[in-house]
Amino acid sequence: MEGRISNAWRLTVNDKNFIKTALLSEIRIDGRKPFEYRKISIKFDRGDGSSEVQIGQTRVMGIVTAQLIQPYKDRPKEGTLSIFTEFSPMADPSFEPGRPGELAVELGRIIDRGLRESRAVDTESLCILAGKYVWAIRIDLHILDNGGNLVDAANIAALAALLTYLRPECSLGGEDGQEVIVHPPEIREPLPLTVHHLPIAITFGFFGNEGILLIDPTHNEEAVMGGRMTMTVNANGDICAIQKGGGEGVPQRVIMKCLQLATSKAASITKQIKDAVEAFNTERALRKIKRHPTSTGVDVRQKQNQ
Amino acid sequence: MENKKSSSPASFIDSTVVPGDVVLDLSSMTNQTIKLGGGLRQDCDAIPAMKAGTLRFSKPNKYWVESSQKRYVPCVEDTVLAIVVDSKADNFLIDIKGPALAFLPVLAFEGGTRRNIPKFEVGTLLYLRVVKANFGMNPELSCTDANGKAAEFGPLKDGYMFETSTGLSRKLLSSPTCPVLEALGKKLSFEIAVGLNGRVWVNAASPDTIVVVANAIMNSESLSTAQQIIMVEHLLKNIQ
Repeated sequence: MEGRISNAWRLTVNDKNFIKTALLSEIRIDGRKPFEYRKISIKFDRGDGSSEVQIGQTRVMGIVTAQLIQPYKDRPKEGTLSIFTEFSPMADPSFEPGRPGELAVELGRIIDRGLRESRAVDTESLCILAGKYVWAIRIDLHILDNGGNLVDAANIAALAALLTYLRPECSLGGEDGQEVIVHPPEIREPLPLTVHHLPIAITFGFFGNEGILLIDPTHNEEAVMGGRMTMTVNANGDICAIQKGGGEGVPQRVIMKCLQLATSKAASITKQIKDAVEAFNTERALRKIKRHPTSTGVDVRQKQNQ
Repeated sequence: MENKKSSSPASFIDSTVVPGDVVLDLSSMTNQTIKLGGGLRQDCDAIPAMKAGTLRFSKPNKYWVESSQKRYVPCVEDTVLAIVVDSKADNFLIDIKGPALAFLPVLAFEGGTRRNIPKFEVGTLLYLRVVKANFGMNPELSCTDANGKAAEFGPLKDGYMFETSTGLSRKLLSSPTCPVLEALGKKLSFEIAVGLNGRVWVNAASPDTIVVVANAIMNSESLSTAQQIIMVEHLLKNIQ
């Protein structure tokens, strides 16, 4: 107990005042402008269906797995998508192991709504045998480091993992065609999921005095800000979800301004995700090509020097 | 070969040691009075290192191990930047980034009596000195120097505080002046307070000066002298 109290992260009165004063001159403590995002890096180090996204100091890992289950009675021809979040205590001194706190549940709900309501993932293509067998896609999001703005990072991690996940191919067999044979990846090539569009979550922070607005808050800014809002939009300009959880009220024109900003940011982030996924897919395809020992292979040393 | 190394202390100075290395052997030394700083322990006649880091020596007889980490281990006579967590009848409870909360007696101020106890709200930043630091006990702090004078200790107003590693704090306090501070000081005017517990406070007239100084210091830990100067010039060009 004593250790937990002494290890808690604290914000001084000086910092709170400084963050607010600096924002009045449009300066943020890490040198960004109010509507500038931190550097986003997307990595696929752990193979298909898993991604590690870093926005500044925030790190989230997303893992996609699938299982064959019986579909819901009212949707016999659709697969299911579910999101699980794990807020590891190593990410932040305030995260406790065990039951997810309010923040964890809210984060899971925002990402779930963004993907499910907008039908980003095609669930009908996940049906193998109507009424009997469908694929249940499970996305696990592990928060590794909390540097602020977990929602956006987790959302990108979920999308990147979904785009690189390959599910096993299966066919119907057995005497009456009612049995499902799941082919291992060595026998038949696994298939990617059908993702129609990418809903990107963009988080805004509000600071009451003077109506200051900023995008992608860091950890310190989150502790000081008066209200937050997350908008999930896609590159086409469709709104997939909006979440404003408590905090101070904002006028309507501010919300419309946020919408415009979110749409422009979503386009650039979508492009970044697509480029990263494509680079990974190319690399994965190259790995599968078996080269003749006599032909010239790729010189790894040269690549590193470049 | 190994035995020869452990019995000649000169070979370990300024080189990396790991816990367990016997850096000094008292029986083979002429001047038997030596001062041991952090990271060293006395085991009869041998002095093994307890922390991983670089062994340093300063004339005439002081040895210590220098290492850098995020956690702070309280040592007596260290100056630290601390945050008020709570106030009780006899002490303020203070967070110094150590393993336990520290106590600041309400009377440990210059001219402090029961009648003029200062009121610090939770979250106040203070510059204090460590008076007692024993293993397993809460450290004790003081707002005066050893003679009882205030001497710059006390609450810090305005400005911005950020956290660094303990190694970077020591580098910032070393003399001659750290290259990053010198390069920044040539172009900007700012006030700075460095706590050995890995906290730094900066204050300046305009917010963007504070932001530039804070970011320059945070980036400078792993850079060499020349790289630090280039980094500072780069940052200064962006704001001018």
